Amino acid sequence: MSGVSPEQVLFAVFALAIMVSSAGVIFARNAIASAMSLVACFFFLAGVYVLLWAHTVAALQVLVYAGAIMVLFLFVIMLLTTSSDGPSMSFSVSRVAGSAAIVAMFGALTSVFVKLPAPSYGWTRDADAVATFGTIAKVGEVLYTRWLFPFEAVSLLLLVAILGAVVVAKARV
Amino acid sequence: MVPTSWYLILAAALFCLGMVGVLVRRNALVVFMCIELMLNAANLTFVAFARERGDINGHLSAFFIIAVAAAEASVGLAIVISLFRSRGTVNIEEVHSMKN
Amino acid sequence: MDKIQTFFQTAPVDPTSAGQALWLIIALPLLGAFICGVFGKIIGRQNVHLVALGAVGGSFLLSALVFWTINDFRASAPTPFGAVSYAVGADFGTWFSAGTFKVTMGLMADHLSGSMLLVITGVGFLIHLYSTEYMSHDAGYWRFFAYLNLFVAAMLTLVLADSMPLLFVGWEGVGMCSYLLIGFWYDDPAKAFAGRKAFITNRIGDFGFLVGSFILVLLVESIAALPAEKLNRAGEQGSAVVERYQQALSAKGPLAFSVVEETAKTLPNLLEQTIVAGPLFGRSYGTMLMVALLLFMLGAAGKSAQIPLYVWLPDAMAGPTPVSALIHAATMVTSGIYLFCRISYLLVLSPTVMVTIAVIGATTAFVAALIAFSQTGIKKVLAYSTVSQLGLMFLGIGVGAFWAAFLHVVTHAFFKACLFLGAGSVMHGNGDEEDITKLGGLRTEMPVTWATFAVSTVAITGFIFPLSGFFSKDAILDAAHHNHIEGYAGLQQFAWVLGTLTALCTAFYMLRAYMLTFEGPRAKDAKLKHAHESAPAMTAPLVVLAVLAVVSLVHGLPLMHVTRGGETVTQTLMENFLDPVFRTTNDLIAQRKAVEIAEEHGAPWATWAFAYVIALIGGGTAVLIYGRRLKLPDALEPLRKLSFNKFYVDELYELVLIRPLTFLSKAFFRVIDSILIDGIGVRGTAWLTQRAGGMLRYFQTGDAQMYAAVMALAVAGGLVWALLRVAS
Repeated sequence: MSGVSPEQVLFAVFALAIMVSSAGVIFARNAIASAMSLVACFFFLAGVYVLLWAHTVAALQVLVYAGAIMVLFLFVIMLLTTSSDGPSMSFSVSRVAGSAAIVAMFGALTSVFVKLPAPSYGWTRDADAVATFGTIAKVGEVLYTRWLFPFEAVSLLLLVAILGAVVVAKARV
Repeated sequence: MVPTSWYLILAAALFCLGMVGVLVRRNALVVFMCIELMLNAANLTFVAFARERGDINGHLSAFFIIAVAAAEASVGLAIVISLFRSRGTVNIEEVHSMKN
Repeated sequence: MDKIQTFFQTAPVDPTSAGQALWLIIALPLLGAFICGVFGKIIGRQNVHLVALGAVGGSFLLSALVFWTINDFRASAPTPFGAVSYAVGADFGTWFSAGTFKVTMGLMADHLSGSMLLVITGVGFLIHLYSTEYMSHDAGYWRFFAYLNLFVAAMLTLVLADSMPLLFVGWEGVGMCSYLLIGFWYDDPAKAFAGRKAFITNRIGDFGFLVGSFILVLLVESIAALPAEKLNRAGEQGSAVVERYQQALSAKGPLAFSVVEETAKTLPNLLEQTIVAGPLFGRSYGTMLMVALLLFMLGAAGKSAQIPLYVWLPDAMAGPTPVSALIHAATMVTSGIYLFCRISYLLVLSPTVMVTIAVIGATTAFVAALIAFSQTGIKKVLAYSTVSQLGLMFLGIGVGAFWAAFLHVVTHAFFKACLFLGAGSVMHGNGDEEDITKLGGLRTEMPVTWATFAVSTVAITGFIFPLSGFFSKDAILDAAHHNHIEGYAGLQQFAWVLGTLTALCTAFYMLRAYMLTFEGPRAKDAKLKHAHESAPAMTAPLVVLAVLAVVSLVHGLPLMHVTRGGETVTQTLMENFLDPVFRTTNDLIAQRKAVEIAEEHGAPWATWAFAYVIALIGGGTAVLIYGRRLKLPDALEPLRKLSFNKFYVDELYELVLIRPLTFLSKAFFRVIDSILIDGIGVRGTAWLTQRAGGMLRYFQTGDAQMYAAVMALAVAGGLVWALLRVAS
């Protein structure tokens, strides 16, 4: 493979942005800053999804995650957070050991992933499939046929979650 | 073409960053955000494999994960609110109700 | 006359539906027990009486209907070996099955269990009625009636069961109710202890019963596995036998009475042979049959209070008097005799077992009668009398007079229930005075109780006039004298002598109790100056039972003439009535000739005269001595004391069995329980857990993130390990 394709460039940009913004989530002292970093991270992830031809998921990512969920987060942060109280992180022995383990895990995973054979993407030769892949029409079709029952179950789950949240967060009367 | 393994490595990095955040942050809200990061890492792998195999079901899995994450966030935040009401803090180091 | 006979020999209901309704007879008292036991306190005394009486009364009516039905020769109960006439029955599905072993819930009523049905529900109803008055001041009335109803249900299960395991359910059920009712007044430790004693003694017997039935299963299965040519028998090919046998086994299981009966038919040719396969390998069929039957005898001895397990029955009088009348005189204690009548076809195959039963029965009868001589408690006298009469019944079983033994069961149920209820009435009217030396002169003060007690005393002894008990007892003694058990003529005659002596003693002690209680002047140290007659609810059952004790003498009269082999043979009513039940038994007797039944030609006047004289001597002596309240000569005092203290059997058991057992238990308690189980097992575990917990406590910080860190470590470790596995 000669040269660098635009896709690869875009991937590199997005990946770097994701890493930076997610590091921001972890290391920002202020919770608001963390939340804003997370929003940024979600946007860049949506970009990666587009690179992966997952237009619907990308749209959902922006709408639901970066939109709804993060607004909720910000709302709660503003409701609760008092002035910063002491260090935002702690580095006891167990935490450092756990973090080291995670780094080791990342190393192990990477060592496996780099050895994976390059995919053939044989299915892309079917132009029809490529044209519909990841579109709202295609995802919706599958969602309301094959995944109809889980879809309904999830709607129920959301209902229960809303009720639960109301009950739990309600001030004791 | 970007090989799937690149996406996987990106997802692994995201996941590990999220997990480190869960371990070291003291603010319960930030811990929650880190959990969202980890969920997104999982989503990324689903979508990446969907692209490799031309299988739309991966997108559906991501869709459901987003829905469940929304439910989880609403309940979790409600818990944080009631925790704040009773303890006056969102610092999980000060919440040791699992002891004894 | 013919019309009446036809009327009573025509089934009033369809026999098949009667068979399918048999469960109702059991279910009614069971429902009554449930209602009385659970809601008794809420619904009040009157309603409890209503429910309990209604349940038993309804059961009685159904039983009467069933009894009427089985008088019809067309009534037949289905068994895997063809229908049995003069019976109804039905199978209510499989109870449990494991491999080839199977137990069904089948009920059957033939003439044997039909008669028992009437006795249980009839006498049971009268005693329930009596109890409404007798227990009228007891706060635990609902408990009492619940137990009583439960007992009736269990006893009905026992007699209706068509297989050994179902019979055992009833067998255990009546044992439990007996325990509950003996210890009914459980706040008195002595009474609670008496209940326990009854229960434990019964358990020993039940153990015998269980092991006996296990051996029976093995026997049946080893026969079923035999090659066809070994099962040839008169008029039938072995292969046909095997085929039917296998079918029956898969339909009803090895312990159904129909299968056991078929086994008995198959056994005669096999008795000498050794078993070639299975757990009983190398032993002969005859030996194993003997062992099984002796174990059943142990079971029957426990339930029916025979040597060596009779000791519980006299103590069982701690319970309320109606209980003594129903359970410990009329019904439960006769279940041993019922069992042996059921499996009589097995008994006649083993003369050894029969003579053992005869000797045990006769000895028990005699010893118990001797003890009854000197007892002062009226219930104690009756209790030993019951043991003694039960001994006579076993004597009857042992000499092959099954019908006579069963007739004695029935007549005994009437007159002994009447005697017990009479004793209860006496106690009720005399401020709970039980000591007959402190009573006396009740004849005028309690006329109804007196009259019925007198009739029953005459019925049991035959003094003055022969009534029902005289004939049934005499039929047993007659059989003991004239029947013939192969190889044991001496022992059999010994048993007969003991039985005759028992008759003598019975007349003596019964008249002693009667004279002391009802005749003569009132004792000076009586609790109350004047006794009062009991209420009608108590006297009515007494009258009915007394009438029954008189009327049932008809069944002991040789009124039936049967032509058998060109010869006219006389049979008593009962013998003729039970003929369908004992058909296989009689066939086997005729075939094997190990036991010979003497046939009667006309009434046995000579035997009766002899027995009458015996009764007159015994009774007359008692009347002479106790009518005038004569003092016993000093020379006899040690004997009286020996008898009064029941020959020190309880003390002997205490010394020989209970003390060593207690010692052993204590030793086990000290070594195994205290050191091994408590020390190492319990405390050791606790110590280890505590130590482990103490160490693990340091990991329990309550810090969720630390837990997450540990989880991360574990996940990382697992991942690395998995990768290494894949790489290598």
